[in-house]
Amino acid sequence: MRNLLDFLYRYRGFLVFALLEVVSLVLFIRNSAYQRAAFFNSSNAYIGRVLEVRTQVYDYFSLIDKNKALAAENAQLRRQLYRSDLAARMPDSLAASGDTTGTRLRPDTLLVGLQQLLTRSSDYPLVPARVINQTLRRVDNYLTLNAGTQQGVRAGMGVLTGAGVVGRVRQVSEHYATVTSVLHSKTNVSAKLRHDGTFGTIKWLGEDPTHVILDYIPRQNKLLMGDTVVTSGYNQVFPEGVMIGTVDYFAKEPDKNFWTVRVRLAVDFSKLTYVYVVGPQPRVAERDTLETRSGLRAAAEEEGGKP
Amino acid sequence: MGNALQLLLQAGRFLLYAAVHVLLISRLQLFDVGWCFFYLGFLLFLPIATPIVVTLVVSFLMGFSMDLFYDTGGLHAASAVLLGYLRPWVLRILTPRDGYDAQDAVNIHQMGWQWFGVFLGVLVPIHHFVFFFLELGSFSAIGLTLLKILASTLFTGVTMLIVQLLLFPARRRR
Repeated sequence: MRNLLDFLYRYRGFLVFALLEVVSLVLFIRNSAYQRAAFFNSSNAYIGRVLEVRTQVYDYFSLIDKNKALAAENAQLRRQLYRSDLAARMPDSLAASGDTTGTRLRPDTLLVGLQQLLTRSSDYPLVPARVINQTLRRVDNYLTLNAGTQQGVRAGMGVLTGAGVVGRVRQVSEHYATVTSVLHSKTNVSAKLRHDGTFGTIKWLGEDPTHVILDYIPRQNKLLMGDTVVTSGYNQVFPEGVMIGTVDYFAKEPDKNFWTVRVRLAVDFSKLTYVYVVGPQPRVAERDTLETRSGLRAAAEEEGGKP
Repeated sequence: MGNALQLLLQAGRFLLYAAVHVLLISRLQLFDVGWCFFYLGFLLFLPIATPIVVTLVVSFLMGFSMDLFYDTGGLHAASAVLLGYLRPWVLRILTPRDGYDAQDAVNIHQMGWQWFGVFLGVLVPIHHFVFFFLELGSFSAIGLTLLKILASTLFTGVTMLIVQLLLFPARRRR
């Protein structure tokens, strides 16, 4: 017994080192699983508060940029409101689905990533949120938003900005949410080419925060430079047809069955400020669950997968 | 009494380094590939006679608080604990001919440029090497990662030098 205690005391440095190192590595590895969120993270109330205060301080240094961006967005919204050609307004003058009184002529929509989303849709409610913390150049990037369960955000919802797809909500607390960005080594977003509807999967290789890879496009398909890549709507995280980016390079590689396609992201992740959280209501989520259970989908956590 | 004061002082240093890192330094980037690991200053400049168990525990606490802000689970903690483990070894290798005096500290004015340069030049690159390769989880983007390590080492090293020159008392060794 004495010998054992002596031994423990003599090697206490190494033993404590090994213990703490194992604890940290376990925490790290559990955290890097794409879906499973860590117990300790930045959606914690106290950490979120610190990050929010920090954002308030930083805001003073970027007021000019923010004002310019907001002015541009205002101008764009105004253009949507006062469209010059009346013809374009006619089809919209029917009652919105779910509008039982029929009094409102046009449903209230918002143009998000080329797609008009209903602001009060029963399928995809929009929750505005502010980015209060963000990484950009890591291998796995995350964002923290200042909207939580109180605002109706739930884990698994999609995150969009005016320009396109941003990521997916990972964990939620009462007032904050953490988001797995598209710039994550395990990203898998189901996507399609807008001009012919070919399905593929968006992946990120971990180096360049302005480009992603579009995988699983068959070699016999014709591709064009500048093709628009949008979400497919196959899974219920993102609505169909939301902009992801444009094709800016493609090549056939001899040892692959698919095109190697590089897509330039529509969203400038270095200038993210305000985002929208969208997510399906339980009724739509039910379809996902059903398809998973009946084997149509490989696993619930695989977002997109092979087409 | 002296011990309690020392403990309070170190707790204050911990909070100061952590707060400055999270509130100011964490947004800085050098050419998009270099970051400043300012909080390492707390671990590097602990008193020389700190027991190893204490060093390891505060390394873990510091790394873990950074993980909370970066959402990285235990990445900062793992590399900080390694730094805490290696620090006494490096200090032992760098022991002056007649051993450390009681008032010696990790201080560029007291220990000299050479001593301090070697101290930083060994510990900071090892920490960054472990940190960035753990983060990567593989050896795929090796060139970019080596560049990140180099740029971050320069950034952190220069910041630590500035902290030393600005804030540490300049009592020269006779």
